[in-house]
Amino acid sequence: MGTTASQLAKDSLSEYQVNDHLLLENAHRRFTELLDRDERNHPNPRVPMEVILTLPELKSNPFKTRICQVFSTSEDKDGSLTFEDFLDLLSAFSDSATLEIKSHYAFRIFDFDDDGTLDYGDLEKLVNCLTGETEDTRLTSEEMRQLISNILDESDIDKDGTVNLSEFQHVISRSPDFVSSFALFLFYPVFPAPNDAVLHCFI
Amino acid sequence: MALSKNRLVVSCPTEEQNLIKELVALSTTEQIRKIRELPVSFEEKKHVRTQAMAFKSSGQSHHFSSLRDFSQNMSLLIRRFGYSIKSVSQSLQLWRGIMKEIGGKFGSSVLNYFVLLKWLLLFNIFSFLVNFGFITIPLLVSDLSPNVSPNVSFRGLELLTGAGYFNYTVMYYGSYSNETFRGLVDYDMQLAYFFTISVYMVLCGLVLIFSMASSFKKNYALADAASNSAWQLLCSWDFSITNEKAVNQRKNNLRIQLKESLSEKAHRERQTTSEQLKQYGIYFGSWLLSTGLAVGCGASVFYLCQYEDEQAEDTETWSALKEAETLLVPFVVSLMNMVIPLFFSLFNKFEQYSSQRKQIYALLFRNVLLRISILGVLCYYWMNTVPQKFTCWEPMVGQALYRLVIVDFIFLMLGSLFGEFLSNVIGTKIQPRLGVPEFDVARNVLEIIYAQTLAWIGIYFSPLLPVIQILKFFILFYLKKVSLTHNCQPPRRSGRAAQMKTIFIFLLFIPFFAGALSIVAYTAWSLTPSEHCGPFRGLNNTFSVIGEWIDDVNKLSSTQWVVWIYQNVIRSEIFYFLITLIILVLIYIFWQLIQGRKELIVLLRKQIVNEGKDKSFLLEKLQNLQKSCPEVNKKQKKRTTHTSRRSAERSSGSQSNSNAVVQVLLARQQQEEEERRNASGVSVPSDISTSDAMMQAMLARQKAERQDENAYEATDGHPPPLDAVAQSLAARQRAEETDGYWSTTHFNRSNPVYSSIIQVRQSAERDREDDSHDATSPVSSAMIQVMQARQKAEEEERNQRIYPPGQNAASPGSSALIQAMLARQQAQNEYDDGY
Repeated sequence: MGTTASQLAKDSLSEYQVNDHLLLENAHRRFTELLDRDERNHPNPRVPMEVILTLPELKSNPFKTRICQVFSTSEDKDGSLTFEDFLDLLSAFSDSATLEIKSHYAFRIFDFDDDGTLDYGDLEKLVNCLTGETEDTRLTSEEMRQLISNILDESDIDKDGTVNLSEFQHVISRSPDFVSSFALFLFYPVFPAPNDAVLHCFI
Repeated sequence: MALSKNRLVVSCPTEEQNLIKELVALSTTEQIRKIRELPVSFEEKKHVRTQAMAFKSSGQSHHFSSLRDFSQNMSLLIRRFGYSIKSVSQSLQLWRGIMKEIGGKFGSSVLNYFVLLKWLLLFNIFSFLVNFGFITIPLLVSDLSPNVSPNVSFRGLELLTGAGYFNYTVMYYGSYSNETFRGLVDYDMQLAYFFTISVYMVLCGLVLIFSMASSFKKNYALADAASNSAWQLLCSWDFSITNEKAVNQRKNNLRIQLKESLSEKAHRERQTTSEQLKQYGIYFGSWLLSTGLAVGCGASVFYLCQYEDEQAEDTETWSALKEAETLLVPFVVSLMNMVIPLFFSLFNKFEQYSSQRKQIYALLFRNVLLRISILGVLCYYWMNTVPQKFTCWEPMVGQALYRLVIVDFIFLMLGSLFGEFLSNVIGTKIQPRLGVPEFDVARNVLEIIYAQTLAWIGIYFSPLLPVIQILKFFILFYLKKVSLTHNCQPPRRSGRAAQMKTIFIFLLFIPFFAGALSIVAYTAWSLTPSEHCGPFRGLNNTFSVIGEWIDDVNKLSSTQWVVWIYQNVIRSEIFYFLITLIILVLIYIFWQLIQGRKELIVLLRKQIVNEGKDKSFLLEKLQNLQKSCPEVNKKQKKRTTHTSRRSAERSSGSQSNSNAVVQVLLARQQQEEEERRNASGVSVPSDISTSDAMMQAMLARQKAERQDENAYEATDGHPPPLDAVAQSLAARQRAEETDGYWSTTHFNRSNPVYSSIIQVRQSAERDREDDSHDATSPVSSAMIQVMQARQKAEEEERNQRIYPPGQNAASPGSSALIQAMLARQQAQNEYDDGY
């Protein structure tokens, strides 16, 4: 059966990615739920972005499509995720991820045009994402200009008009709320069943 | 798989090589940790790991392979077992699911309240275990438990007042014996009582200090000084919020906050002097009023106590009415604690503080002042009046504290009901304009901190008070959770949750825990314990237990060191004097260090800005140069964007890199110009200096070829002395150069052409090196040697018909790198042979 194959894969995954068995179990269960019945037998199934975005944990996140795109290893950049990608996503957003990892991925998520720096366009999109995209909620262009020039004043240390990764990480290291807020949890069942995890270590 | 592997190698070759080298040196556990911390996808992690493993095993002999396999499997098993234990313990964590749910709906600032509540609950559970284990159980076991006098029966009112029947149980200080139980070992009740309480207080203090210090370091020392900076707001977006409504609300709040932060600056500049004066007048008035209110509350509690004092008498049995009367003081105190903060919030509405933070701090400070003044008055009453009035006074104080804890609990529940439930009903049904109430984190946190302070003060007078406290916090947790999810909306302003958390721990420590500790210490040091009850009966003060114990110890010759420590450390002034002196000196030294660091930071900042200016200057130069030769622009543009993107990625680590990159770009351009000239057959150089340089390059090349035999020795480990910039430049250029080679050979693979291109490039490179940097000839010759060595290595690789991974490596000691590559290749070969 396909589940056993991915079960094996899952075992080899655990220690290079997450040291949280519970997360792994949960992630695996939630991921298989997203698959169609015939897809489950596929050795390394890929879930399209539209399906991933139906997860209640991601559904209302303003950065949901960016998150999928950043973590997807798909060749044609459609934001589809394999189980490994999914686990990458969860471990980057988990409690145990370091500030380094979190800030790295946050930078990539905020870098909308994938050019390696946050420029005016990226920052504008970021602010729009966070304040709502509709016409009446959006900041006026004057406010936006002012805001982005404030942002650049604060963080663009070398004054080149863009925020690069090291500058971004500098900002992040000085905002203590970031680690706790850059987090995304899978919903746990009300009574988490540790049985699987327990069984695993004895098999 | 092979394809993706190659893609990966091409994408980040140098760092990967370095990384693998680094990994090979580490132990397996470290390796796993390190790999886990890489910010790359799992595929790449796996790749890095297999590389590192292959590298490692190629260096080892194959004799012990089975043994090694076994040990690896064992360690894998052990590790997995460890992870499983960890995750099982995680799943057993108290309220884990609820915490996540709350965090998901209300964000981290509300979550902080629940984390603090849980933390305090754990404190109390620990305190209960310690007290019960070391004080109560020995008492119960030795059958010295107090006898309830026959005319006292349980009436039910005791649950509220803590008096009557409870007075004869192990609940209070009075019921504990002062005897030494003879058993297997002698168990001195006095010492047990004293040490349990003091150790618990000291442990609490230490835990608080450590958590406070670490969160200060994280949230204050490293945090940005600017109070309302835009990035702070953007970075505070809570990814864990999953509720659609909450997300929209957050978006709204964030927009408002951003707009406020924009208008704040303008607002501050526009204010006139008269407006400012008016502002200060309002501040002064509200501070005066709120301080007056706090002091007034303290005074009225004092008079109330005095009034009750006149009424009460020291009797064995109280009538039920008399007993109920004792509830007056706690009732009034709790009422004040509930009502007065509402006035404070009202004042707060009139004052317009420039920042949200100041407003919260002002509110917090006033509330703390109120609670401290009331508690201070109560403590003064307990310490001064009660001991003179009652023959057995400690249980009386214990009872008073018990009543305060219970009544406070009732008021907390009422507060939830009326404060949150009713305003929710009003907000949704009657007056929709008011809206659903927010969960006021600051007020709620202050409430539980106050509750915990009562428990800390009471620990001496009523060792089992933590039981009540545990129940209280447990119920409160669920109550608040239900009230929160049904009645409240997330707080509108939620920035700076981490800093608020620090403030809360600080508050918990400084006025409240420190106050409780000093009251308990004062009681133990200066007050005479009651003569007819409790473990310390007959002593001058509680602390003299230690003196008596030392006298006992003194009789045994084997434990003289204890006596010595007591005499020379605990009781000697000179010791404390010295300690204070040393600490003062240390503080001064650290203070100076901090000053030095601050200056250093300023200097480094200036340096970064200068580097940025350099970069923009060089970029400008590059652009000018590009404009001057428009015919190559098409080709140029493509390459430049490619390279600049690469450089943007690479330069993320260090600022100075990017300067080098720009310089390389300049060099590359010149080089390409040269190339174009050669390719089109225009061999006549346009200016003399270039051709002159070219000649020099040719000469250098010849010289390099002559030295070809000892090329390996020359580069191995002993690069010629040159300054760091030139070195990195050379390395960079070489990297770009090889990069170019790959793009060229892609179209044209035949060997002679390739080598001629290389030659031309080398000369061009040399040329430019002399032009702009007048680097010494050892530099360039070494470079050429390195390149030749590299060429050789690559040819070798091609001979073996293995696709050469494009290692355009840029580390200075590249011969070592080549060796490393060869070794890796070998390892791969072996790996393939294995199949």
